[in-house]
Amino acid sequence: MKQTLISEAMVLEEVKKAIAQTLKVDKDSIQAENSLMKDLGAESLDFLDINYRLEQAFGIKTARHFVLEHIEEMFGEGSAIDENSQLTGKAIALLKIRLGNDLPAELRPGMDMDEVPPLVTVEGMAKVVLDILDTLPEKCGACGGKAWKSENGLRIKCSSCGGEATFTDGDTLTKEWLTHVQEEKKIF
Amino acid sequence: MKSYAFEDKVALITGSSRGIGYAIAKKFGQSGADVVVNYRQAGGKSQAQGGGLCKEIEGMGRRALLIQADISLKQSVKQMFNEIKERCGRLDFLILNAARAPFKPLEQLFERELKQLVETNYIGNIFCIQEAVPLLEKNEGRVVFISSLGSRFYNPEYPLGSMKAAMESVVRDLSESLSGKKIRVNAVCGGFVKTDSFKVLRQYMEDLEQLPDQFFVEPEAIADVVLFLCDPASRGIQGQTLVVDQGLSNTLYRPRPKKKT
Repeated sequence: MKQTLISEAMVLEEVKKAIAQTLKVDKDSIQAENSLMKDLGAESLDFLDINYRLEQAFGIKTARHFVLEHIEEMFGEGSAIDENSQLTGKAIALLKIRLGNDLPAELRPGMDMDEVPPLVTVEGMAKVVLDILDTLPEKCGACGGKAWKSENGLRIKCSSCGGEATFTDGDTLTKEWLTHVQEEKKIF
Repeated sequence: MKSYAFEDKVALITGSSRGIGYAIAKKFGQSGADVVVNYRQAGGKSQAQGGGLCKEIEGMGRRALLIQADISLKQSVKQMFNEIKERCGRLDFLILNAARAPFKPLEQLFERELKQLVETNYIGNIFCIQEAVPLLEKNEGRVVFISSLGSRFYNPEYPLGSMKAAMESVVRDLSESLSGKKIRVNAVCGGFVKTDSFKVLRQYMEDLEQLPDQFFVEPEAIADVVLFLCDPASRGIQGQTLVVDQGLSNTLYRPRPKKKT
């Protein structure tokens, strides 16, 4: 269910903090629209470290794999990335649905897959966290309580038993979304 | 700590802008060698850190050369060695440290991931050796490959382990085939090190951080053994892989320490 205990602003702040710690840059210099790779100098290993920090902060599990990898796992190798390591038209069609108005203008069929990670922005990472937080269950898994609270604006706990909320992990969330879109749009 | 006298020698450490490679490069500088620092990705953190490392080595009074090269590409390796020939005129130590791999079970790897795995972690190392041999044979050079415990033990979602195992085999092979050229080849197999790669590993090996600190190896401890393998003191060691893991792999039975009452 959509949660309201942790604000978008709080998530964005925490994402900036994680990036600042990993990349050893000044947090206040990080802008929401910055590309992690192009503007802030992040490399592939850094993404995992930033995710790890966010997981520790919010008690979530982020996706280990990009959506393009999930497409290929579900619909076969070559469905999202062709033999020349370029994005397929179907992959772009799917990303259009996923990103909506946030779709970067650079995304196009034939684009090299290595050009995709540089499109990840600070606010894009915050959205990923918010999507996971929005999988907050109706009831506490431990006691069945229906009321949630957050004392520090980062971790959600059960108001009755104090148990930590459990969320759907990022990879499962991506797969569920892909299954849903495929059933509806039959892209692959 | 033993200090080595590598004045007027040149060491190339692939993938040395961070982690274990960084520690090795720094230690070579401290031991008097001129150092070639290599990194793969231009414009990112590696380049900045590599530049910082070079300044530090130059501050020690040594020469330091920063070269961007993707070792999986033959042409890129050729260019790196051409630059070393032009700028340094020699090479004494080749330290094969660069690695790049996805974290996934082997059976789930896509064809391109499998190719990249082999191209960087096996073929790329061979490219480097092929280019280095004409330089190393002039100076009784040394090759040291950086392996990991993944070469002999299971780690979850760690296909790099099989490449490390392959390279340990290459080390045995080359030690014989290059012995006529007086080039010595060995490897160092490191345990868990708290470098950037560890930040990735801990996401796949839950509770890894619960491992007592005593079982984590300092990058400098690995670097010390690498330098030893480049020193005449280790002349009797050939084609071997020395394990540097704080004893982690030495025992199967490790009871949980008793809590103090």
